[in-house]
Amino acid sequence: MKSIDERSPAVSSATDSRTPEAQAATVEIREEPARGNGRPLPPSVLTPPAPPPPLHLDDYRSIIGQAQVDALRFLARELKGKTVKMVNSTAVGGGVAEMLNRLVPLLSELEVPTHWDVITGGNDFFEVTKAFHNALHGSPYELTKAAQEIFLMYNEQNRERLQFGEDMVVIHDPQPAGLIRSREKTQANWVWRCHIDLSNPNAAVWEFLRPFVEQFDAAIFSSQSFARQLPIPQYLFYPCIDPLSEKCKELPDSVVQTVCDEFGIDRSRPIVTQVSRFDRLKDPVGVVQAYKLAKKYVDCQLVLAGGGASDDPEGAIVLQEVKETAGNDPDIIILDLPPWCAREINAIQSASTIIVQKSLKEGFGLTVTEALWKGKPTIAGAVGGIPNQIIHKLTGVLVHSVEGCAFQIRYLLTHPEFARSIGVSGREHVKENFLITTNVKRWLLLFRVLEKAKSLRDDKSS
Amino acid sequence: MPTTEKPSPRKPSKSFYFNTSEHLLRIGRQKATTLSELQQSLQTCPEDSIFQHTFRTLQEHHFIRQGFSNDFAHWSLSACHEPALAEQLASVDVREFTAVEGLRGRMVEIVDEFLQSHPRSGSRPAHEAFYFCAADLVVLPTPFVTDSVSGFLDGLNQVSVHSIHHHFIEARLRLHRMSNDFSQWLEEEVGLLEAADAIERIDIYTNTMEGVRRQIARIVSQAVN
Repeated sequence: MKSIDERSPAVSSATDSRTPEAQAATVEIREEPARGNGRPLPPSVLTPPAPPPPLHLDDYRSIIGQAQVDALRFLARELKGKTVKMVNSTAVGGGVAEMLNRLVPLLSELEVPTHWDVITGGNDFFEVTKAFHNALHGSPYELTKAAQEIFLMYNEQNRERLQFGEDMVVIHDPQPAGLIRSREKTQANWVWRCHIDLSNPNAAVWEFLRPFVEQFDAAIFSSQSFARQLPIPQYLFYPCIDPLSEKCKELPDSVVQTVCDEFGIDRSRPIVTQVSRFDRLKDPVGVVQAYKLAKKYVDCQLVLAGGGASDDPEGAIVLQEVKETAGNDPDIIILDLPPWCAREINAIQSASTIIVQKSLKEGFGLTVTEALWKGKPTIAGAVGGIPNQIIHKLTGVLVHSVEGCAFQIRYLLTHPEFARSIGVSGREHVKENFLITTNVKRWLLLFRVLEKAKSLRDDKSS
Repeated sequence: MPTTEKPSPRKPSKSFYFNTSEHLLRIGRQKATTLSELQQSLQTCPEDSIFQHTFRTLQEHHFIRQGFSNDFAHWSLSACHEPALAEQLASVDVREFTAVEGLRGRMVEIVDEFLQSHPRSGSRPAHEAFYFCAADLVVLPTPFVTDSVSGFLDGLNQVSVHSIHHHFIEARLRLHRMSNDFSQWLEEEVGLLEAADAIERIDIYTNTMEGVRRQIARIVSQAVN
């Protein structure tokens, strides 16, 4: 069965040399609908919706305020006419492409023309880079000479194909890191944006990549703990959400109601939700166990909304385990949704009383960001980037066990004032730190800092 | 009871320029995995790391009314489970310092005293590491410039909370005196001495930055109406 897979887009688009825009316009469609716990999905979610119209900076004014929009324009003014190139390895699917799809037009609108290039490569290249990716996350891997040669060969091919006439070049993730060899031919500032967790990398792969990374002017990581000891400045850019995306924009109540009706969710009773792939690291079985413990004391429904079970053998096994743990409880609603169901996910999150993300391991946890943005009291595992988002008892609650999760479900359902107050603070935290507009600001600040450093260097050398 | 007449505001000779500051977060080279390591790094980290984890973090969490004051206090509680130390660190008011070095000295002193009386706590591993960061700062203008009290109130109500933080909290590091840009202008240019003093006494740790904005606006409005 073919499907869109958010987790391994690099391989599927590896040999596609079309522009990012052309690739983005094409989407594969599932041949069969995914199913939940015996409940067929409504026809409305079986085909992907039309792509949304492009957004403009002024569209965000109602969310971040005129003063913040002004600040972005002031920041960009000094960079007017400076050009940027973003390079990554895929145009569709995955968080990086999704982020670039939003970021590139906004920077260009601010008169910092930004061009986005995607590297090309054969399946052998993307097999190697996929293995590098897993190894950098800490998986065992034996780095061979052949793998190094494949990596270098495709980077050389792309170096010959791409032009680097811009003032700033941003290379995303390890796949195109070898492009730094073109640096000497350019006047640009080169930045390496690493989106992956380097806190415990495979030593051989990291030592292979390190000489490339050290040639950049700066590196960017998504968490303090991902940074390495490097001779270049390292900056912290949190991942972000777009408050105007289908997943995050405010929905009319009628839409929320329709989606709940379609999925059999009763809005007159408390709703506890976890949105995530059916993946052991997201601990959906633990969520069901926590719900069952809490249900002895408080009435509620549990919604587990995710995907990945239809096209991932491991996901299917986890889904089966979840169903077995759930048993015949009619208040547990399990939904294996296609990846384009952003609006439905948004509606379910919006209808929820509490949102849970009981991960055992996590990158940043954008589903937590989405929950906080909707002002929902959120319970989450204290792992990965989640503690950056959830300040315990202030912007949400952190848990370390099934029992802890169950207790917090009970507590939040019986203390609505406290639940409301952490929901309000959680939304403010996202507004301040984890929106796309904040990231636009970070990019502009970084470009200004690098340009200033470059002009100081130029002054010294002249 | 005799009524006291309010002083009429003077026409200021200098305009008030509402600026704002934006920060780029840089990951530092130091980290602490125990309180002893925190103690050592506090003494040697760059000044801008101390600034980041005290003044700047207050801005990042401007929407929280209670329970968050600086990153050192937060880490002592959440990662080291030392509530007494956390309370002492949290009680440090950044506005009592006109230079970062003084603030650093106070933080070091608190951790030193705590570890002297709790020596076993020094080497106990923290639940998660403390990563020292720093901020690259860029000051930006806003569209608001005024030479009247009504214009001041107008600007105050429209600028971002980052601008309020810039003028009200960070200002003392620029001014090197126990004051802020708002109080200084209102006192020196407009002659509203009492209002300037009342603004300086606003408690930033029991208010959100929006709450601070509202209090400043109320104090100035009452002073002139």
